[in-house]
Amino acid sequence: MRTQFYIKFGVIVAVIGICFYLFYPPEKKVKKGLDLQGGIHVVLEVEKENLEEKSLSDLTERALEIIRNRVDALGVTEPVIQKEGTDRIIVDLPGVKEPEKAIDIIGKTALLEFKLVIDDENLYKQALQGNIQEGYELVYLKEKDERGIYRETQPLLLKSQPELTGKYIVDAYVGYDRTGFPDVNLVLDKEGAKIFEEVTGKNIGKRLAIVLDGVIKSAPQIREKIPEGKAVITGKFTIEEARELAIVLRSGALPTKLNIIYQEVIGPSLGKESVQKGFKSSLYGAIIVLIFMIFYYLYFGLLADFALALNILILLGIMAGMKGVLTLPGIAGIALTCGIAVDANILIFERIREELKAGKSPKASVDAGYHRAWAAIIDSNITTLITGLVLFIFGEGAIKGFGLTLSIGIIANLFTAVFATKVIVDWIIINKKIEKLRI
Amino acid sequence: MELIKNTNFNFMGKRKIFYCFSLLIIILGISFMIIKGEKNFGVDFVGGDLINIEFSQKIDVASLRRIIAQENIGSFTVQELGVEGKNYIIRLPQKTSDLILERLKNNFGENFTVKRKSIISPSMSISLRKKAIKAFLIGLICILIYLTIRFEFKFAVGAVVALFHDILVVLSILVISGKQIDGMVIAALLTIIGYSVNDTVVVFDRIRENARKTRTTDYIALFNKSINETLSRTILTGLTTIFVVLCLFFLGGETLHTFSFCLLIGIIFGTYSSIFIASAIIIDWLKRSNVRLKI
Repeated sequence: MRTQFYIKFGVIVAVIGICFYLFYPPEKKVKKGLDLQGGIHVVLEVEKENLEEKSLSDLTERALEIIRNRVDALGVTEPVIQKEGTDRIIVDLPGVKEPEKAIDIIGKTALLEFKLVIDDENLYKQALQGNIQEGYELVYLKEKDERGIYRETQPLLLKSQPELTGKYIVDAYVGYDRTGFPDVNLVLDKEGAKIFEEVTGKNIGKRLAIVLDGVIKSAPQIREKIPEGKAVITGKFTIEEARELAIVLRSGALPTKLNIIYQEVIGPSLGKESVQKGFKSSLYGAIIVLIFMIFYYLYFGLLADFALALNILILLGIMAGMKGVLTLPGIAGIALTCGIAVDANILIFERIREELKAGKSPKASVDAGYHRAWAAIIDSNITTLITGLVLFIFGEGAIKGFGLTLSIGIIANLFTAVFATKVIVDWIIINKKIEKLRI
Repeated sequence: MELIKNTNFNFMGKRKIFYCFSLLIIILGISFMIIKGEKNFGVDFVGGDLINIEFSQKIDVASLRRIIAQENIGSFTVQELGVEGKNYIIRLPQKTSDLILERLKNNFGENFTVKRKSIISPSMSISLRKKAIKAFLIGLICILIYLTIRFEFKFAVGAVVALFHDILVVLSILVISGKQIDGMVIAALLTIIGYSVNDTVVVFDRIRENARKTRTTDYIALFNKSINETLSRTILTGLTTIFVVLCLFFLGGETLHTFSFCLLIGIIFGTYSSIFIASAIIIDWLKRSNVRLKI
């Protein structure tokens, strides 16, 4: 009996120790979700039109890679970039400083095309009046104004059929011309080089627009026939502009479009506020429950409180150990676990009271109480666990975090409320030879 | 201390009154839903933009509305958070938030910060909606299967009908009180399902135990006895959970407001439905079909 007790007691101490180690210090070990630290959440969708199912998945992979590169360039710590289904990409960037710019850069991954600018005065005038001929399109050239904001300037008339797409691009990088101004170097693959040679040869003097996502990024003039697929784009670039154009060209190797179908920006102030308020409200909730239990069940209330404290410790320990993400609904989930966690003990204690009333001895009442409450506890906890797991598996973002804390809380509950409290009750009853139970 | 001692309420005898009560709320709620249409739903489920901005000092809501209205972007809503007149949630048509933010910047300068901005396209909202429905169905089916194994099919159906009841009642009260159904509400509903089924199972467990012990066919007496025996626990657990939810409601900030509001209603009705819906339905089923319980 004694050794058995010591083993059980050892298990409890070990669990406390492990969980404390996993969880402490909380600022370092517990990962906060986007809603708690601020940041952006973006869902992109690959445009499916004219694509086969098979190439779609591969395309999404490539887009994923490109987005990853861009996010790296942004220098965000702990970004999450993942594929969802066959055609979606989720990007989470916690603590981003300039959310607008980040979203812009991520979303830019798109269709890059080279289109000829039509310099026919007549056609252009007609197009401006809204009469655009078949096979042509009117596109705005976006340029930065003095305040650094992109403004639409004079539109250009383009041939709809692109001469070349981004898929032939091997590389693009920033270089410097003889006068020391930055320029952009473009390297095409073999096939691209052949097409480019032909296009440039036929259209010397004309402008070739670099169109990304239907927006003209630059429209350099073709000065000469360019063989071997090595072009240099010059202009009055700043280094920043040249770098941006190079990135545009590099990422253009994706023959389709990515649409941002969901974006959420959470300011750091809201995150901080959520942490404070979520923590405070949960703490108060827990304290009220703790006091209530002592008030209602006296010493057994203390026992339930011990179980509750242990429950929260295990919950936080497993969360940290699993590298789970704590979200605001997750904090609410922990608070709620407090409310529900005492349920198992309430079930047991009420049962013990019933057994005592039926005239059983303290020891027999306690045993019967735990034994008979077991079926109700396991059935009710498993059904709750089912909903918790469904939320975790099918939920998204903050809701997923909630499902996780709820599920772990319930599992911990079974251990603390049923196993841990029983060990202590048994020990007290055996050692103190209690004749009369006050519960 | 003991709050509830040896009660002997005739819950099952009065079940029809409570059927009517629940039906009334749900019918009222559904009428509200039909009248309000898309406005019942948050941007997560219908698409659109949502911004939460906080001004450094109190501003006039009417002027805020006027500035937005000038842009002719279609229907929008401005909702004030808190009582200080600084914090607002603005719901806008799809992809108009950047335009509006720029206008606000022109009018208010740097005197406000964007706390949150969401832009949700219709295709995303469709998949979010599908996901929510899928989560509900899978959750309910799993519960149905588990309870059928542990009890019997009638009990499982009783519990699941009670869950549908809870969802409908919470949604009804939510809509009647003018709140919107969004992702957080879905999380709250699923939590309520968890809580409600938990509560229902405890009552069922006692019915099962008493049924095995007594082998009685007087089901109304059996159910009443079991419900009265577990009543003390039912109320205590309800109370401790409500304590916590009230703290979340009053101290948890705006993000948790609707969430904890749902939970509050859900816990009350989840407890209620265990007795007056889940158990009551089994009684009526047993009466109609004239069969014995098989547990």
